[in-house]
Amino acid sequence: MAIEPPLSGIKVVEHASGVAAAYAGRLFTAMGAETVMVEPTAGSPLRREPPFFGTTPDQSALFAYLGAGKRSVALDLMLDAYRDALDALLADAHVLIDDTAMGDRVAIGLGADRIRRDHPDIVHVSVLPFGAAGDKAGWRGEEINLVHAGGEGFLLPNGLSADLFPDRPPVKIAGHFAEMQGGVAAVLGALSALWTGKGQFVDTSVQDANVAVGAFAIQRYGDGSLEHRHHRSFRYGGVIECSDGFVELLTLEERQWQALVKLIGEPAWAMDEALSDPAERSARGREINEAIRSWARRQQVAELVARAQALGVPMAPYNAPSDVLADPHVKARGLFAAVELADVGGVPMLTAPFRFGEAPLVIRSGPPELGADQDLLGAASKARQARRAEGR
Amino acid sequence: MMKPLEGIRIADFTVHAAGPFCTHMLSQLGAECIKVETALRPDIFRKPHAVYGRLGPASFDQVASNKLSIRINLKHPKGVDLARRLVAVSDVVAESFRPGVMQRLGLDYDAIREIKQDIVMLSVSSSGQTGPDRHFAGYAPLFGAWGGLGYLTGFSDGPPVEMRHVMDHSVGLNAAMATVAALLRRRLTGQGCHVDVAAREVASSYIGEALLMASVGDEVGRMGNEDHRRAPHGLYLTSEDDRWISVAVGSQAEWMSLLQVMGRDDLASDGRFASEQARQSNRSDLDAIVSAWSITQVAEDAASAMQAAGVPAHVSWTAADIATDPHLRQRGAIVDVREPDGRTRAAVGPPVRLPDCPGIGIDRGTPALGEHEDYVFGEVLRIGRAEYAELVEQQAIY
Repeated sequence: MAIEPPLSGIKVVEHASGVAAAYAGRLFTAMGAETVMVEPTAGSPLRREPPFFGTTPDQSALFAYLGAGKRSVALDLMLDAYRDALDALLADAHVLIDDTAMGDRVAIGLGADRIRRDHPDIVHVSVLPFGAAGDKAGWRGEEINLVHAGGEGFLLPNGLSADLFPDRPPVKIAGHFAEMQGGVAAVLGALSALWTGKGQFVDTSVQDANVAVGAFAIQRYGDGSLEHRHHRSFRYGGVIECSDGFVELLTLEERQWQALVKLIGEPAWAMDEALSDPAERSARGREINEAIRSWARRQQVAELVARAQALGVPMAPYNAPSDVLADPHVKARGLFAAVELADVGGVPMLTAPFRFGEAPLVIRSGPPELGADQDLLGAASKARQARRAEGR
Repeated sequence: MMKPLEGIRIADFTVHAAGPFCTHMLSQLGAECIKVETALRPDIFRKPHAVYGRLGPASFDQVASNKLSIRINLKHPKGVDLARRLVAVSDVVAESFRPGVMQRLGLDYDAIREIKQDIVMLSVSSSGQTGPDRHFAGYAPLFGAWGGLGYLTGFSDGPPVEMRHVMDHSVGLNAAMATVAALLRRRLTGQGCHVDVAAREVASSYIGEALLMASVGDEVGRMGNEDHRRAPHGLYLTSEDDRWISVAVGSQAEWMSLLQVMGRDDLASDGRFASEQARQSNRSDLDAIVSAWSITQVAEDAASAMQAAGVPAHVSWTAADIATDPHLRQRGAIVDVREPDGRTRAAVGPPVRLPDCPGIGIDRGTPALGEHEDYVFGEVLRIGRAEYAELVEQQAIY
């Protein structure tokens, strides 16, 4: 049964040039908020960020994902006239998301003091690579810098990739993982601030968010050991190559190990009594993994994963994006909404990785054309004038 | 101002990493989080797992910090009754069992909303509460594999890469956010709901653009450290052992600045690097040029010099760098926590700053199993001494 999305009625003004802030707006949108992108007259730089559909740089798939379901107004915030239009929008909004560099905020009317004075009830969410306060508040950071500033960058790859390429540099997580952690943290902060009922400043640092999700390595350090990508591979299991692709295998519990032995057909080596001791298995992990890897090369991914899960062995296929799209489970869950993109056609748009009942959340449209909702400005200005006239 | 979520009470049945990280984050923001465990089967993250090749427990101390610990034996009917009494005085029930377990315990959403009509229930699982794979077991590397993120991560000539704890904790961060959204909805509508967070969908949510590309037949593959547009872009070794700097050049201005920092103005007019497209085409030449410079540099000095010139750069930091960094400590992203045994360790603070709510963060270290039963059973549930002793005797509290 579909229920009203949780943030219906919440209005968000987003001024974003980077992925973290735009993703925050996207999460708000998926949860039912009305998100208005305030873009420069040349359009958000994210419109020009690859990958592109086709070869011409006029349809960014990244922007399609981040901008889906939002509205757009084009404003040159260096001009006072447009600043008034911005204020009219803000007067009606609950949340402002901004990722302008600290040094440039005052000039475009987005300084924290100015916003607090003129819009005391708004939750003003700042999203920056290293936050709005502290010694590195002015530092710049792209995805690859941030995944390494947060600690996980140094720790990848491990497992099979680290075995194959021990001398290569660390490898980043694909896409915009680190920046998106910043986006999620920004929304958590914004919603917590909304819960208090008091307008306030929310200072999001993409680095902080990544340090938080990297908690494990920090705890290990506090306990006296320093994690390194070359030392933290699973002793056995991990990325396993099959005849037609890769699977992931991880057994933590005793019963899972026993099920794995069944899965591989109870070969003589695995029936060794000594291997019923987890410490012995850990010590002989390399030997175990060599046996598993050579066995798995003759297996096919889909059939193997089905058998493993039926036996209670935690295993999953390494799905390519096209596999994700075709996955019957994903389809049954309705994770993707059918959305029409100009010049591209109908595409499946991932809505959000959580839901508030059985029905998935809804994304109704692709990203708006630049300035598609310019008429919002007139409406907002009129509403503001009316409020002023009534002395509110 | 108090902590923002002060007054919210969570009955926390979560185990492993993703669910406990979620409720830990909410507790740092002020929610009162009551962790339900039993000595029969403690949270499996309280104990070590040999497959990781170490003897200590995993991330338990961090995510248990700030929580109140009580014992309830859910295998005992009176234990389930206790759980129901706890639900009746809670705002949120959080769990991360495989779908079906809460039903068997009589604590599924339909059952608990009978107890408390506007309860917000949070379920974190590998594949979600619905769909044919809902019963599948999974851990972080499996979420990444299912969701496509693992496939896309790795060198272009190598295999996929497994996601580790950041994947779990990222699921928890999404779950924390969705829980607060559900609470806001409850305030507005008077209605609770069942929040369903599927870890493999969280992995997919980070590759939205690659999924869109695949849908039009234009599959994106593994790109290692390369970027669609930026070059130079990658990790460059410095004069220090295993010490790398990440560099990302995304504009002409940044390119010119990098040349100045490297003392290579001679390349300013080199046709191979004259435009973004040219730099992208000749990126392996660029990697060689930047590497030849970086190998002579002290990592932090080089990163600072690049930042001063406006070039996005950062050293590839270890946990030691993070735990001791003044900027992160100034912000409260890293804090010291004192454990009951007097030991102090570094821990992560809240994932976002709220300057008007300066009290957010960790107040207490790891609770002992059942440490807060006087408060929870005595004060919150108003169970008298005699009844408590009887429930302990019957091993409903165990």
